[in-house]
Amino acid sequence: MSSSPDRIRVWDLPTRIFHWALVVLVVFSFTTGKVGGGWMDWHLKSGYAILTLLVFRLAWGILGSRTARFTHFLRGPRAAVAYARATFAGQHPSTIGHNPLGGWMVAFMLALLLAQAASGLFADDEIATQGPLADKVSNALVAKMSSFHYYNGWTIVAAVSLHVIAVATFQWGLKVDLLRPMVNGWKTVLPGVRPPEPARAATWLAAVFLAVAAGLVYALVVVYPRG
Amino acid sequence: MKKSALAVLILAATALLAEGQQVKPENQIKYRKAAYQLMNFNFGSLEAMATDKKPFNKDDAVRNAEFVALLATVPKGFFGEGTDKDTKAKPEIWTHRSDFDAKMEKMTSEAAKVPAAVHSGDMAAFKKQVADLGAACKACHDEYRAK
Repeated sequence: MSSSPDRIRVWDLPTRIFHWALVVLVVFSFTTGKVGGGWMDWHLKSGYAILTLLVFRLAWGILGSRTARFTHFLRGPRAAVAYARATFAGQHPSTIGHNPLGGWMVAFMLALLLAQAASGLFADDEIATQGPLADKVSNALVAKMSSFHYYNGWTIVAAVSLHVIAVATFQWGLKVDLLRPMVNGWKTVLPGVRPPEPARAATWLAAVFLAVAAGLVYALVVVYPRG
Repeated sequence: MKKSALAVLILAATALLAEGQQVKPENQIKYRKAAYQLMNFNFGSLEAMATDKKPFNKDDAVRNAEFVALLATVPKGFFGEGTDKDTKAKPEIWTHRSDFDAKMEKMTSEAAKVPAAVHSGDMAAFKKQVADLGAACKACHDEYRAK
């Protein structure tokens, strides 16, 4: 099947696993944060897992597969506007990887999630739970971080909703299949217009990055606070 | 023991209220904040033990639990009219008073069960009671505490 001319591999396995693991963990983090009580312990652990994934994603965005790289999907504002115009005009230019608008949405969501995970490290709910680094900074900063963590959570809900609506619009409104490629990695292209296969980085490299990310997060949230 | 001194103080304070003595709004805020802060300290210690962030120590847990149960009874007497300045307490407390009181009651009743849960030596029961109290605190914070 891999030699079939009308299919092209756009998303590598690490990027797909990252995406769907993030979906599960973000939903879990939001839910446990809102339910509170005995779930707060899980809320923190889920946050550490998300932070690990984000650190991995930053590395993969620099040294990973072609379509996962920031240099591939972060295009200038002119490209984004041109793409938006074309899309709203009824054309939907076929793109390999994130389109020029979606690329910025991805960067925006990654930034929001990174800010959320980072602020959570310093947050304190003033019931019984505090982030592992709350004791390392002033209470004034802890209060700011806690407040930010609360409001930014709703900003993430808004951004994720927009992301889902946009994908659904492409999927069922414009009949551009975005979901299947994010599941199995393959995108269907019109026969004869098959663009070159984007370069893929080795999966073992992703495993190394993930392991290093996990080690860094462990050092930050477990080892460092003890000292 | 320091705790009995604190108990006397709290009883005296609540007795004053019962006798209709007015504590000026500024001090009501001060006392309820003090009670919440000490609850936070003691409950934080219990939570750390319940989630294995620190080893369970029964003497500490008993002390924390008794403080929490006693301190939990303090704030309800100090949410009088005019105590909505310089505080995270939202004005909705005074416009939804019966709901606020119900949530406060829920919190104090859950806090009252913590010492028994510690004494029981049943870790599952202890963890559950810590979680239930945390949820009761949060229910009120969500509605009536500014973020």
